Amino acid sequence: MELKTSVSIDEEQSVARLGLKGALNTDTAPEFEKRLQDVLSKGNSLTVLDMKELDYISSAGLRVIFKAAKQAKNAGNRLAAANRKPHIDKVFEILKALPDMAVFADDDELDAYLDAMQSQVKGDG
Amino acid sequence: MSNSIATRLILALCICTGTIISLGMALDYRVSRTELLENLRLESANTIQKSITDLENLFDGAEDGTRFLAKILQQQDFTEAQLQSLLRDIVDSNGDIYGAAIAINPDTVTSERGYAPYYYRRNGSIVYADLTEGEDFYWQRSWYSDAVRAAKPIWVEPYFDLEGGQALMTTFSAPVYRLDEEGNRSLFGVVTGDITLDELNHYVSNMKVGQSGYGFLLSGQGTILSTRDQTLRMRSYEEVITTDTQYWREILVGGLEGSSLVRTIDCPHIDGSCTVRMGSLDPVGWPVGVVYSQDEVLEPLYEYQLKMLATGIATLMLMSIAIYSITRRVTAPLTALAAASDSIALGDLSTSFPPAKYNDEIGRLVTSFSSMQRDLKVYIADLEDATASRSRLEGELAAAREIQMSMLPQGGEAQETCETYSLWAKVRPAKSVGGDLYTYYERHGELFVAVGDVSDKGVPAALFMAKAISLMQQLQEDFSEPNTGMAKLNDLLEQGNENCMFLTLFFGVLNLQTGTLRFASGGHTPPTLLQAGRATTLEQKSGPALGLATEQTFPINTVQLPAGSRLAIYTDGIDEAFDSEAQMFGTQRINAQIEKDVDQATASAGMSLFQAVDAFAGPTPQSDDITLLLLDWSAATLHAHEFAQQHALHLGPKLVTRANLWLEHVLEQAGVSPDVIMELTLVLEEMVTNVGKYSGLDQTSELQVLVAGNSAEISLEIQDQGSPFDPLSEARRAELGQDIDHAQVGGLGVHLITQLTQQQDYRREEGKNILRVIKQLDT
Repeated sequence: MELKTSVSIDEEQSVARLGLKGALNTDTAPEFEKRLQDVLSKGNSLTVLDMKELDYISSAGLRVIFKAAKQAKNAGNRLAAANRKPHIDKVFEILKALPDMAVFADDDELDAYLDAMQSQVKGDG
Repeated sequence: MSNSIATRLILALCICTGTIISLGMALDYRVSRTELLENLRLESANTIQKSITDLENLFDGAEDGTRFLAKILQQQDFTEAQLQSLLRDIVDSNGDIYGAAIAINPDTVTSERGYAPYYYRRNGSIVYADLTEGEDFYWQRSWYSDAVRAAKPIWVEPYFDLEGGQALMTTFSAPVYRLDEEGNRSLFGVVTGDITLDELNHYVSNMKVGQSGYGFLLSGQGTILSTRDQTLRMRSYEEVITTDTQYWREILVGGLEGSSLVRTIDCPHIDGSCTVRMGSLDPVGWPVGVVYSQDEVLEPLYEYQLKMLATGIATLMLMSIAIYSITRRVTAPLTALAAASDSIALGDLSTSFPPAKYNDEIGRLVTSFSSMQRDLKVYIADLEDATASRSRLEGELAAAREIQMSMLPQGGEAQETCETYSLWAKVRPAKSVGGDLYTYYERHGELFVAVGDVSDKGVPAALFMAKAISLMQQLQEDFSEPNTGMAKLNDLLEQGNENCMFLTLFFGVLNLQTGTLRFASGGHTPPTLLQAGRATTLEQKSGPALGLATEQTFPINTVQLPAGSRLAIYTDGIDEAFDSEAQMFGTQRINAQIEKDVDQATASAGMSLFQAVDAFAGPTPQSDDITLLLLDWSAATLHAHEFAQQHALHLGPKLVTRANLWLEHVLEQAGVSPDVIMELTLVLEEMVTNVGKYSGLDQTSELQVLVAGNSAEISLEIQDQGSPFDPLSEARRAELGQDIDHAQVGGLGVHLITQLTQQQDYRREEGKNILRVIKQLDT
């Protein structure tokens, strides 16, 4: 019941990807919070929580995500979740968590979103 | 109209007076008619008799004059001048005689044509005529020859006198005989007295009876002398009678024979029936008669009848008018009173009554009605007020009933079916609201049931019941032990209970694992236990009723419910229901009924008992509130995967991880599905986290985790000895479903507990916080 995280940042697209593996619970939440704060503090316009390998999330984990979502929004950035497993999804559902947070079902959806964003940026440039 | 007294009165009076008047008039008519008819008969008879007398006088006069002359001539000789003078005197002095003659026997005179002087009346003077100057000799004339032949005075058949009077006449001829010295009788001559037919006609015409009646006169030979039709004069009746008038023959023949007769015939001259009266003239024996129309004779009668009828009708009409106006006048106030009463009956109480003029029956009626109207106004106003307040009260009571029923589980009639037990309960107040109560709830694997009955009924009882049931909810903790809870409830109910209301209460706690029932009774009717088809009233040790005195103790009773048994807890409204003969329903009947419905489910068995009570009471209204709670105990089912584990955890680092790892292990061992395991680990994490956060315990302290379950449900219990904290009521709960801007950070944990388990109970026992949750499994 540990939580391992991995971070990858695409500076070109200003997208940070924080991968979670294991259990995000009361015990692991404080460490995860620090880690997430670090990533958010980099100021990427989009921070994606990749939950592909997340097996468990408790209210303590959600608390961290709520807090981070607010922070990101206040900084003009966004926090998104991707690849939520069904039982992770269920916890979000039960707690009716953040209906306005961007959620990507899988990598393809995320990539498509990123592509779209990039082309929009280019278009703007 | 027949609804009006006035009309009926008018009709009745009119009919009565009409009948009386008609009867009177009919009687009068009958009498008058008889008199009138008699008068008419007499009158016509008089008329006829008078005419006949006149006629007879006429004939008698002529006869007397002639006889007198004959007498004189019989005894004396006269010169011709003397004879003529005598003759003239006779005519002059005898008004009845038209003319008179002395015809001397021609054999005694020298003159070849004899001697026959004749005096008669013409234009008011007396004229002389010589009868010898005619074509025939006078002794050849019938008035001479017939008399001589008869040798006595006779009336000769009428004839037209050419020689003398130049008129139609009849003559009384008297032969005059003289005796010589030898006593031989010789004819001296014939003296005559004439009566003209005109004269006769005059008299006969006086015999007129009625408008068109007429008299008739025939000679002794049947010659018509006088009748209505002048052209028939001097003709024999034989010639006149036709085949249509044969009846005349019989009449006239009768008349000629001298008989008096009366016949009714068809009038010969007008329509209708006529009466013929025949008689004969005494001096000559000639038939005389009258013909008159019956209708005409009865004309006065008819007129009288008409007058009678007209008078009758006029009287009736006048009487009717009088009756009508009098009745109208008398009943007018009554009519007005009736109209006013109708108006009042239709609801217009402002209608004014007609003024009463006199202090008669109607006047008194008007006074009574007016008084009644005033009373009615007051009464109706009172009634409206009373009705308004009554319906307001009823509305309030209905609302109160709703509120009261909402205090009871499932609103007064509850049905609960679980794996190990089935429960049905119902309250039926005698009035809108009542003092009976029942409640039940499950807590920590135990079923709590209570049935209570507040003294009295109605609103006061309902208020006391509300107080009691609220207190029972507050005292759930204390009721873990029925006797403790009851003692506390008793103390609280006693406070401020100036009215000395009280509550009898059954309170039981059923262990859903073992089927052991512990109960306390505060003066409540003992329940009935149905097992193996036999219903028996449970022996119980009871405390006093609640609310009367503080610091009471209530003994605890323990009963082991056999599997498949039924417990019936009720209030005395059932056993003390009365029938019309004041018999009580009683526990025997209750037990019998419960036995009878052994195969019924709780709900239908319960309703059946209610119906039995109603049928027993019959028309007697329900006197007390009725409550029944039926509890079927089927015993806990043992499941294949039954398990129970307990684990002590110290509050060190990685508490949650340790707890979850243990739980996962236990549940995996028990074969619980991964989804359920994850949900229960989520729940356990929250429960454990709360203890870590709020118990105030140090890291070396321990908490106990208990997990138990079967294929139907899994319970998690966590016990700690920290400071009292009920996360269910005290932990912060964030509002769910908010967006990023509004979402609260934290406060999600309790939501997870309540969402993922079906039952959560917190209790503080023996210095321990005990939080127990049960998750039911989809089977």
